[in-house]
Amino acid sequence: MFDFIMGKYNYWFYIALMMIGFYAMIGKRNLIKKIIGMNIFQTAIILFYVSIAFKKGAATLPILEHAHGHDVHAIEASSYINPLPHVLMLTAIVVMVATLGVALAIAIKIYRRYGTLEEDEIIEAMK
Amino acid sequence: MRILNLIVVIITGMVLVYGTLDMPDWGDPDSPANMHVSPYYITNTLEDTATPNIVTSVLADYRGYDTFGETTVIFSAGMACILLLRRQRKK
Amino acid sequence: MIDQLPVLTIIIPLVFAFITPLLGWWKERFCYPWVLLSLSLCMICSVFVLFRVISTGTIHYYLGNWTPPWGIEYVIDHLNALMLVIITVTALLVAVYSKKSLEQEIPEKIVYFYTVFLLQVVGFMGIVVTGDMFNLYVFLEITSLTGYALIAVGEDGAPLASFRYIIMGTVGACFYLLGVGYLYIATGSLNIADLSSLLPGLYSSKVILVAFAFFFVGIAIKMALFPLHVWLPDAYTKAPSAASALIAPLMTKISVYVMIRVMFTVFNPSFTIDMLPIADIMVGLGIFAIMAGAIMALAQTDFKRMLCYIVIAEIGYMVGGTGLANAIAMKGVILHILNDAIMTLGLFTVAGIIAYQLSGHRLSDFRDLFKKMPFTMAAFVVTALSIIGVPPTCGFFSKWYLIQGAVIAHCWMFVVALLFSSLINIILFFRIFEIGYGFRESGEAHGHGGEKALISEAPMTMLIPTIVTALLIILIGIYNQPIITNIIRFAVPAL
Repeated sequence: MFDFIMGKYNYWFYIALMMIGFYAMIGKRNLIKKIIGMNIFQTAIILFYVSIAFKKGAATLPILEHAHGHDVHAIEASSYINPLPHVLMLTAIVVMVATLGVALAIAIKIYRRYGTLEEDEIIEAMK
Repeated sequence: MRILNLIVVIITGMVLVYGTLDMPDWGDPDSPANMHVSPYYITNTLEDTATPNIVTSVLADYRGYDTFGETTVIFSAGMACILLLRRQRKK
Repeated sequence: MIDQLPVLTIIIPLVFAFITPLLGWWKERFCYPWVLLSLSLCMICSVFVLFRVISTGTIHYYLGNWTPPWGIEYVIDHLNALMLVIITVTALLVAVYSKKSLEQEIPEKIVYFYTVFLLQVVGFMGIVVTGDMFNLYVFLEITSLTGYALIAVGEDGAPLASFRYIIMGTVGACFYLLGVGYLYIATGSLNIADLSSLLPGLYSSKVILVAFAFFFVGIAIKMALFPLHVWLPDAYTKAPSAASALIAPLMTKISVYVMIRVMFTVFNPSFTIDMLPIADIMVGLGIFAIMAGAIMALAQTDFKRMLCYIVIAEIGYMVGGTGLANAIAMKGVILHILNDAIMTLGLFTVAGIIAYQLSGHRLSDFRDLFKKMPFTMAAFVVTALSIIGVPPTCGFFSKWYLIQGAVIAHCWMFVVALLFSSLINIILFFRIFEIGYGFRESGEAHGHGGEKALISEAPMTMLIPTIVTALLIILIGIYNQPIITNIIRFAVPAL
């Protein structure tokens, strides 16, 4: 039982974080709170992926030391952590920032027009 | 309404946790994610790309097209912000 | 050069999109011909790709010459090539159509609108050609970001509609990313062909099941499947005419394509149909979507909003047809993707022309329009007949295949829903015909003060794409047999 929890607890923490962000996205009525919830949700997904890359044991960062030029020793895959999730998440971080930028630009546009960022007041003003 | 949101969030979280029950343990060096595609990157990066930083070689060489798409994402977000926010001075 | 055609279809609009702001800064008048040039070249490339796929079979193109699964590859089979042609033809027609409408609605932002327009077309095409799951996510986000921006520059109330779309669309994309992550944890690979060979051994695993559930819900949000459709009516109604004419025909259909890929290529049909109850769920959701879309369309007084609910009902056809899980229904679904794109394009271009001439798009604006705008209304009548499902327009044939598939699968509720929806469409459109011919007052007829004698036929650049669309509807209907035997028959997944 203890081994089971120790083997999975990273996934559960990140899922809890994702659900906090998801609740903020769909539950809150203020636009900025929704945007922050979106940010938390996407960041938690990024952390989830990065945690997949870890290898127990003697694994180190995926950068080869003393590797320029000649006399390269045999490179063992188990002594370096998995580089692929890190690569995917570099792209996902950029996508997250771009979405955040566009969402904030639309929030600015709404603020300029209605003077408020609460969804209830905006719907009232639209009637 | 608040209760409905909370129920949706809890159901989503429980489905996600249900999916983790069969997953490989954290840090397992023999998991499929660590054994299938990535050993090739680690062992062959010096011959194919002459770059000791494996993340860079995957990002810029093996999966360079994803980086190209990422650049396009930044460009389109920039253009979208100009489209949304730019105000012409009223003459 | 011929070998590089698959990637040229993406590179050409992208390079042209990078240059468009510079060109617009120099001389704004050149943007419109520049956009037309790029989309014409792109359409020629995609038609060549389609012919090559028909003659030589599936194209595999390795980007950077790295073999998959270590590199990214393009896989273009018949379904992808057909989607490419649909996207480029629609984009070209909307680009021709957009000039006058943009000058009236957002005159100071034309250059950047065209840039974001080209980038959205790049995003659409990137989704349909790729053979890698994470690459699909990147291009899905390009499509989404540009879509949010194009919708938010519309009329009053558009930014809030676009914000709601951002929240729901990001939830959908993040669910998709979670699905990709779970599949990666279970298999270690991101390539679609590789996944389809690795997954059959793992079908009893909980990870795969949850991954499939998250894919389905994420794509359903993007597809506006009832009950996750709430973002669609506001967003498409308040967008500028050119933006809604581009996004409405394509975004939801491309999400249907992604769903077909995930369900039948990544996961085997033996998993999705036999091991999961998803087929019955999809048919049920499809029936709900058709009924709800039809009934809510009846209640609308705004023409563009009514069209949005018709789009929701059409998505119900496609999802229900996929759930029927036999080859004839899948032929109907793929033919319906083609038909629905063209029909929705026809409807939204007519709505844009009416908005251009009358500065409004309510049903009461249709009074006496048949005498004043005969060509536009002729095209509208053809499109309306196609949505109702009258031969020889194309809408009849895809409905016929769907009904045949439903009869074979003994799903009588779906047949009833299809016929019910045709009936509601008859009521909807004939109501508009009555108002347009002046046979009956629409109820708010006095708002515009006297005869609007200044309304004439639409300008040429807006009229020609509408008429071309109507002609395409008739042509695709007449030639649907060659299209099915040459293209769609190979695109149907083996069921």
